[in-house]
Amino acid sequence: MSMDESPNIFFAPWLKVWKASFGHIGDFPAVGPSREKTEKMMKGYPLFTDLYSVWMDSVSDFANISLEAMKRMNDKTALMDGRTSPDKYKEIYNNWIETYSDTFKEFLRSGHFSGDMGKFMSSLIEAGKYNREMLEENFLKPMNLPTSTDIDEINRELYSLKKTVKELNRKINELSQEK
Amino acid sequence: MIQKINEPNLMRETFIKFQKGSEVISELTEISVGVTPHEIVYSEDKMKLLHYKTTVKNPCPVPVLMVYALVNRYYILDLSPDKSVIKNLLDRGFDVYAIDWGYPSGMDRYLTIDDYVNGYLNNAVDYVRNKSGADKISLLGVCVGGTLSVMFAALHPEKVKNLISFVSPIDFNTDKSLLNIWAKDMDVDKIVDYYGIIPGDFLNMGFLLLDPFRLLIDKYVGFFEHIDDKKNVENFLRMEKWIFDSPGQAGEAYRQFMKDCYQENLLIKNRMEIGGKRINLKEISMPFLNIMAEFDHLVPNESSLPLTKAISSTDKESMVFPTGHIGMFVGSKSQNEVCPKIAQWLKPRSKKDENNIVVKKSKINHNKSKESMK
Repeated sequence: MSMDESPNIFFAPWLKVWKASFGHIGDFPAVGPSREKTEKMMKGYPLFTDLYSVWMDSVSDFANISLEAMKRMNDKTALMDGRTSPDKYKEIYNNWIETYSDTFKEFLRSGHFSGDMGKFMSSLIEAGKYNREMLEENFLKPMNLPTSTDIDEINRELYSLKKTVKELNRKINELSQEK
Repeated sequence: MIQKINEPNLMRETFIKFQKGSEVISELTEISVGVTPHEIVYSEDKMKLLHYKTTVKNPCPVPVLMVYALVNRYYILDLSPDKSVIKNLLDRGFDVYAIDWGYPSGMDRYLTIDDYVNGYLNNAVDYVRNKSGADKISLLGVCVGGTLSVMFAALHPEKVKNLISFVSPIDFNTDKSLLNIWAKDMDVDKIVDYYGIIPGDFLNMGFLLLDPFRLLIDKYVGFFEHIDDKKNVENFLRMEKWIFDSPGQAGEAYRQFMKDCYQENLLIKNRMEIGGKRINLKEISMPFLNIMAEFDHLVPNESSLPLTKAISSTDKESMVFPTGHIGMFVGSKSQNEVCPKIAQWLKPRSKKDENNIVVKKSKINHNKSKESMK
């Protein structure tokens, strides 16, 4: 079993079982006076499972590429003679940096990494958004404090007003020059 | 195999080096950047227009406005007196202005590229034209600031005498830079809707990921190897300050830039629109200089070069220097080769037109603020 396979060998079947069982928790209809809040909370399950899933993909990718870099480094050090000197240590360090940097750059350049990073960012933001909504729902709203949506509305209004003021000022200037 | 090292002298030398290094660091009080004397002559919201004090008696009559990118800060062009593109151009007889975009905050999340180009940049250009009396000015756009300058020059060609694009991306259909590759898979809408203002740290994470081993390990190993050299330590800390001095990005401007440029590559196809107006690069007919860095890992030459062909200018030139993206501003080649070449190209083109000498002194709508900096 190679390093890149190990997380998936456990995780892939686990995810399948999870999705077929507890993964449905988010789909359950909520009841009772605080059903909206409960429903929102339930939505967190699939979000965090997705995040964990894409995170595991990334971990697997990085484990794989680290192994590849290590192999390349081993090949290089095998060719070095056994003299001992500070220069030799520096040479090993330079080789290490060069090998790891080049190997990782090859990986970072691949469409595979790019696609995985896109998915990871997307899931991370979804989870962040959920956390923010829960914070607003559970703490800010009951305390009558402004939420990000409230602040965004004010920001949008401010932006619009500023733009109008600038435009009016420009017109006033034009008219005063015509006089 | 490597055996145990037995070098007492080296241990002693290393100890002395670190001891001296700790003295050097403890003696440093403040890392100064952007020290070339200047004053803020105009400001609008977060944007400030800086006017640098001329160092020659009769500077060129056509001023140069330097437009830096929205990412990171403008003072990389004036990092220290001996690493300053701005000072170099001043000493070569130019009247230099620069835009500092500032740090966008929550209320700036709705700013669009139209606001930056047809708003702030247009007003800054008008201010410089008014103050200098020149009908047209020279625009020197750096990195994404160059992309904005190209948009401006296409939309307002009557205000631009010379256009210099300095390591600026225009054609985004390339896989030579990791940024171009990664941008294709980004869900930009999701990112902008969540953050509003795209955090500087988010962008920095992307830049560090371009070469994590060199940027997160080797760079600091190199620093400790020269920690006893005061000048080296100062320069390192200046660069470090600049690298991590990363303003957030106005969400809507970021959204359009990422989607229209990085993902759909509309600018070079003359299909990009801002403020309801299509940007036609053929409208750029003024003298044009396209400057690129041969080893640019952020803006590959393939991204900049097509602009020279895409515009209708007859007086146009491309120059490639054997350095990297940042080396164009702070490397030795910047001072000894890049700046002299810019000056050599710009000077003969910076004479006022005889039939169009003075711009009508119009009152421009802005919150003018004169704040002496030096």
